Amino acid sequence: MEPNAIHDLLCAKLGEAALEYVDSYEKGTVIAAAKIAEAATLLRDEPELHFEQLMCLSGVDWDGHDAEGKGKSVAILGYTEEGKPELSDRVGDGDLGVFYACYSHRHGHKYSLFVRVPRDAAEVPTVSHLWPTAAWHEREAYDLVGITFTGHPDLRRILLEDGWEGHPLRKDYQMPAQWQGVPLEGRSYAANPFNEADVVLPTKPEGGQG
Amino acid sequence: MSDTTVTHGWEHQDKPRVQQSELLEINMGPQHPATHGVLRLLVKTDGEIVQSVTPYLGYLHRCAEKIAEGCDWRQWMVYTDRFDYLAPMNMNFGYAVAVENMLEVEVPERAQYIRVICAELQRIASHLIAIGTFGLDMGAWTPLLYCFREREEILNIFERLSGGRMLYNYFDIGGVRFDAYDDFAEEVLFMVHVMEQKIVEYNTLLTYNKIFIERTADVGVIDAETCYAYGCTGPVLRGAGVPFDCRRDDPYSIYDRFEFEIPYGQGEQGTVGDCWDRYIVRMREMSESCRIIRQAVDGMPEGDFMSPDLKKLVKVPAGSLYTRTESSKGEIGFHIIADGGSKPFRNKVRSPSYSNLHVIEKVGPGMMISDLVATVGSLDIVLGEIDR
Repeated sequence: MEPNAIHDLLCAKLGEAALEYVDSYEKGTVIAAAKIAEAATLLRDEPELHFEQLMCLSGVDWDGHDAEGKGKSVAILGYTEEGKPELSDRVGDGDLGVFYACYSHRHGHKYSLFVRVPRDAAEVPTVSHLWPTAAWHEREAYDLVGITFTGHPDLRRILLEDGWEGHPLRKDYQMPAQWQGVPLEGRSYAANPFNEADVVLPTKPEGGQG
Repeated sequence: MSDTTVTHGWEHQDKPRVQQSELLEINMGPQHPATHGVLRLLVKTDGEIVQSVTPYLGYLHRCAEKIAEGCDWRQWMVYTDRFDYLAPMNMNFGYAVAVENMLEVEVPERAQYIRVICAELQRIASHLIAIGTFGLDMGAWTPLLYCFREREEILNIFERLSGGRMLYNYFDIGGVRFDAYDDFAEEVLFMVHVMEQKIVEYNTLLTYNKIFIERTADVGVIDAETCYAYGCTGPVLRGAGVPFDCRRDDPYSIYDRFEFEIPYGQGEQGTVGDCWDRYIVRMREMSESCRIIRQAVDGMPEGDFMSPDLKKLVKVPAGSLYTRTESSKGEIGFHIIADGGSKPFRNKVRSPSYSNLHVIEKVGPGMMISDLVATVGSLDIVLGEIDR
């Protein structure tokens, strides 16, 4: 089916929960967060859609993005001539988002779903009962971006240590100064530009056989 | 001694004691040869029977997706090498195609052909490791050594091409970093010629070996429905009898110009989707890769190896795109969100091994411990791309 036909079908079945059609590189529909499980059920079970495979699920921190999709990649506006970062003052107030990419082996078509949730109430219903593969991807999104998936059977960190603080892929993430007594030198790349004079080459040991 | 009365110690009890075993928790890994990397499987067993398998990941986590926010588009290529360190060319390919799709840049013909040759050589090299280590898991030492011998030849070609033996960083956005050397085509053709002979040798050594078949046929059956549900791709999906391959069904680069078959599992030695099927799919894919390489070497034109109209600092237009390509393990997807700047806003990697490993939670319970080793081996996971 053509992407806009899929969008029309979603609109007909979900009503106002299908918010808008995304016609960018990726074709898809923005769904109200509370209705994502219904939308996913439709995509999977409707015979003419039949998206039996969830290719990808990614959590996104949209912080710094304005309505036109323009923004800064990191919490840094730019660099001064000395290479010092100039920090953005609007970090930490953007939405979080989830992206679902589905593929149908039967019909050979693709479609995407998008969800946006406010940062202070980042809760999205799980789709892991529909596509079991989502269970691990949702755990990853929880671990790295900090989105809570309600109804998930086993929502805990997957890549980081259980006791880790914060969610690294958030744009306002601050690396802890130490972890279990080990100091972490969380310095940004831009603040430490490469300088050839700093490189210490290993010297040949005197009197040795090497 | 047959007439000796045996006292069991429970004669004073009213009921005979029912023989009961208790659940035993075993750690398979993090340092274990059969987990193919730093992976911990917490296995609950009742005697020899596995009751549940819980993978614990993250031992190789390097936060590559966070690092992407601080690199420019080209600089991040070097991190893709380190995802699947047994098939870095395929990882490079996936990322390069993903960014080029958004840039809508035309990659020169010569670069396209060099890329396909490298990707297919890499697929052979990666499958050689998969087959060799799978044989090792099953107790067959010798094939591993032969597999490494042929892989060495491929690495020699890559070394002359890129300077690296393991991590190449060879693909670039808009082309490849260096042109192919003078006798590249001859060396590749010779390699393919040797490889085609060696595949026959592996078949006699391992494929139709009675012990090997006994250990792998009807073991760890994963059917097509489970593959769809758990997002399994690559040889795992094809082993389950689904002839799906991104190279043919979602073509990228110039794969639509080549003739090749998609091998899939047919249950020749047992059930469709067992360990042997996944093994034989890899074996036959190597022959198909040889076919593609021959066609690509024939068609390779002269010309640029790098897109001339691409600036040094790439700026990707704002937008979001999920692009998938076929690596040796399955579907490697890059979900890229750009904000129009010189750095990625969000690069999410959907790695094939991540989903392929997840299915062990489903198929693991009920099998013997030794079959669990066989099944994990047949999935051919690489922890570098699971933990990223």
